[in-house]
Amino acid sequence: MDIDSFLRDRQSRRRFFASSGVSIAAGPAMFLAACSDDDAAPTVRKEAEAADVEILNGVLDLELMAVAGYKTGAAQLRGEALQIGKLFIEQEQEHADELASAIKDAGGTPNRAKSSYDFPELRSQRDALRFAVELENTAVAAYIDALPKFTSTDLRGTASAILTTEAEHLSVLLGVLGRPAAARAFVTGEAA
Amino acid sequence: MVAAAMTGAERISIVDGAADSAQIAAFERDRRELIRRGLAFGGAVAAASSIPLLLSVRNAFAAAGEADKTILADAIRLERIAVLAYGQVIARGLLSARVERLVKQIAAHEREHAGALTTALTDLRLQPPPPPTAKDIDSVVEGIREIDSQADILNFAIELETAAVAAYHDAQQRFYDAKLLQTVASIMASEGQHLVVLRQALNKPPVPNAFETGSK
Repeated sequence: MDIDSFLRDRQSRRRFFASSGVSIAAGPAMFLAACSDDDAAPTVRKEAEAADVEILNGVLDLELMAVAGYKTGAAQLRGEALQIGKLFIEQEQEHADELASAIKDAGGTPNRAKSSYDFPELRSQRDALRFAVELENTAVAAYIDALPKFTSTDLRGTASAILTTEAEHLSVLLGVLGRPAAARAFVTGEAA
Repeated sequence: MVAAAMTGAERISIVDGAADSAQIAAFERDRRELIRRGLAFGGAVAAASSIPLLLSVRNAFAAAGEADKTILADAIRLERIAVLAYGQVIARGLLSARVERLVKQIAAHEREHAGALTTALTDLRLQPPPPPTAKDIDSVVEGIREIDSQADILNFAIELETAAVAAYHDAQQRFYDAKLLQTVASIMASEGQHLVVLRQALNKPPVPNAFETGSK
């Protein structure tokens, strides 16, 4: 599928993210948030950690896909855009590593990157940048969705720091595309 | 003039003013931590009189047991002061047309943030905080008066936005209301985008860190 069709068709985008293993946990974990780590009974704490692991693996899937997406798109990038792409690959990988570490700390097993992703066809630098915008927008929306579901306040801190970086990536990419880089007062992304 | 004990591009000049030495030391500790993490602040100027505000912003969410309402009130105060500070910056007439448009847009966003946070507070059936006092405003405005170039103003704006990101990052770990968490997250992300365009205006790396936590 070409990038124009991909970006135009919301259902295609949803199918793509779903088939890529991206599944942000929808289960509400807020009832657990009322229990601090100190006073939670072991069973409740385990359930809370399991809920966190599920959410973390959801956003980890997105980060791993973003790394693969930027690597695929890098073939079309030149000059400053290529430098930006390389930097963002590194930063998305840092996010993935941090999330994997958090999953292990919570007693879980981090998801792995898929062996391949069915990305839309990227024929030009503009295609690659527009696809990157889509990835970043999806990540922003996913983190905003996930934030209140974390039972650990530390994880909320980590997630908000990553979310803000993704919003910064978005801003840089939009600027390279000649679009307003900081047009909105509330950055919420776009759900897949 | 008080200067940090740093060398070369890391040196930060602090114009002497109302801040006491302990405040400046605390400010420098934060700055050194930022530089250790890879942020560059070559040639930055921070007015000493602005340091109490920036520190108070950084510490605004630090007290344990803060209720959502207190955090919200602090956030509203922060956004209102930012609006006033940006208004003062624009009035100085030191900005190019392009940068002035940029700063006006950022100020408009801060105003929207204050409005949304005020609505959130009202939804909790609480009164919004009173407008910033003259002392609050002076702590910003006096600092700005001592800055006399566009670059200095942009550095000041980066300081303000960085402090805002830090404050909202702290708030993320203290709020319990899901809707508030998401509103604050969308504002924090917006402040991050402000940082990008301000850094770019100064030819600085737009995204120097993989984890944007502000100045903590």
